[in-house]
Amino acid sequence: MTDEIRVDLPKPYHDAVEHWQRHNFPDYPRLAEVWDKYFPRDQEFCLCARIQQGMPEVIEVGELVGKPKAKQPAHLDPEAAQILLGQIRAQASTEFGSIQQHTGTLHRAADPQDQAWALRVMAEELRHGYQMLHLLVSQDWSPVTDTKPADMVEEILGMQTGSHLLAAFNLEFDSFLDNVVFAAFIDRVGKYQLTMQKISAYQPYATSMPPMLKEEAFHLAAGVVPLRRWVEQAARGDALIDMAAIQKSCTKWFCRGLEMFGDDRSDSHGGEDSVRLGLKDMTNRQAQDAYIAEVTHMLDDLNTRYVRAKRPDLSRDDADALYARIVKTRSDEGGVGFADLLRLPDRRFFRRRGDGAFQMWGFDGERFDDVETYIKHVASHLPEAYRASVDVRHWADMLRKVHRNEVTLKDAIKSMPRLARVGGGCPCSNSVRWVNA
Amino acid sequence: MTAETRVRPVTELDLDAITRIDERITGRYRPEVWEQRVVYYIRRDPDAPKVAERDGTVVGFMLGEVRGGEFGLEEPTGWIEFFGVDPSARGGGIGRKLVDALLDHFRSRGAHVARTVVASRDAEIASFLKANGFTTAPLEALERTL
Repeated sequence: MTDEIRVDLPKPYHDAVEHWQRHNFPDYPRLAEVWDKYFPRDQEFCLCARIQQGMPEVIEVGELVGKPKAKQPAHLDPEAAQILLGQIRAQASTEFGSIQQHTGTLHRAADPQDQAWALRVMAEELRHGYQMLHLLVSQDWSPVTDTKPADMVEEILGMQTGSHLLAAFNLEFDSFLDNVVFAAFIDRVGKYQLTMQKISAYQPYATSMPPMLKEEAFHLAAGVVPLRRWVEQAARGDALIDMAAIQKSCTKWFCRGLEMFGDDRSDSHGGEDSVRLGLKDMTNRQAQDAYIAEVTHMLDDLNTRYVRAKRPDLSRDDADALYARIVKTRSDEGGVGFADLLRLPDRRFFRRRGDGAFQMWGFDGERFDDVETYIKHVASHLPEAYRASVDVRHWADMLRKVHRNEVTLKDAIKSMPRLARVGGGCPCSNSVRWVNA
Repeated sequence: MTAETRVRPVTELDLDAITRIDERITGRYRPEVWEQRVVYYIRRDPDAPKVAERDGTVVGFMLGEVRGGEFGLEEPTGWIEFFGVDPSARGGGIGRKLVDALLDHFRSRGAHVARTVVASRDAEIASFLKANGFTTAPLEALERTL
């Protein structure tokens, strides 16, 4: 019945991941305690690399279509090998990074099921990170990089919130709302990346994707299902959750999520090299367009549920028709405010990379001329706790400098705020060699 | 011209469509029930549960999975457990396409037999399944009032 094989990392690396877990994911053992209650009859969780069998063995897209897929880095086109190594490092960083983010607010979940679901999501992200390390240590990367496998692993396990490769993984969670919205928005970007990489010209990478995608499907549900309940509670006047709070969290994550696709400017050709070299089957912009359509559908689903709960006196069809009219006219009707509904900002709003980076595009696509007015506009759409963060301050400072010509746009785009941490990360998790010793 | 039917795995964004189809069939609106049911299948084998779409609208669903070891039946068995087709879309072969897709998935997961249970009052469902190759199984469904 199984169509995959499972592999452990060599012991020093396996131990390093477990060591990292003890310091960064101390709740991990609780998953086994709650498994039978929340995931009865599900296959037991395994911290291992899962390799799909029966995948295509010839390149599926790009200029080498039909040629055998590479089974070792040395067999790849050198340009493809460099891009691939970057993809694996970035993927690994996101997996470990998301656990560090979830950990901070996991305990604040009000519903035990929501918390158990988040816990499983975190454990599966740990497994995905483990899978990426397996790719780095199970093959010879010396033709591609001078960095030794142990050093690559050490670098990844040494990353903290604030030093990860992608901005979305350098933001701290403000509340459990972020755990859930993150799963709905950021894990969805992950789904797109994994789906695109399923056709990778590097066979070991392609065969890593299907098991990860299966787990990712649950992660999206762990985001959407609590949100479906929360919008209903908000509609009924629950004092503890409201649409404004959900909207602000959606805005926070959507903007960073768009940047995870890479350079998405329509004239930038972002991702075309990956397609040409057979590493992905969509360009950055194509994937991002599909993502935006999907999250639009998700918000429609949530808004529909909100309007139905707000107007329980209406039939479902009448409530859905009311929602459609409110969206069309952008005005209040029947006791439902347009402003209460969840919306996506313009794709160029509050961007630090790619399309609209450090340009002053408003939430609804309007243009701003004055920097301070724009900063106030952006801030008004962000969660209060996040607004006060070093992350937003860094963006505002960079925006001012770009518009005063003190910093070039290129340098501003490269710039990333570093979260100051007393003592940094766990010193022992910084070193695989330490575990060896 | 009839729109083409596309069958694909269920996602969390199909919850509302499935809930509405169930409501049109049973008259009951049960979003929480379907959330739990659909997430059960998504977390175990997200490629198994299927929906059928026409013009981008979900018009049918079929939920099931491969399990073994139940009721003394050790072999991997593809269990069909929930399905529904929007009443307004019936008669266009949607149910057959869903069955075909789910059975293909069961085969890919190593099952050589698919099973389901139909209440004797649901003659229409039994007729649909028999038209799709299902036959009466050498099993007996038993119950006892508690």
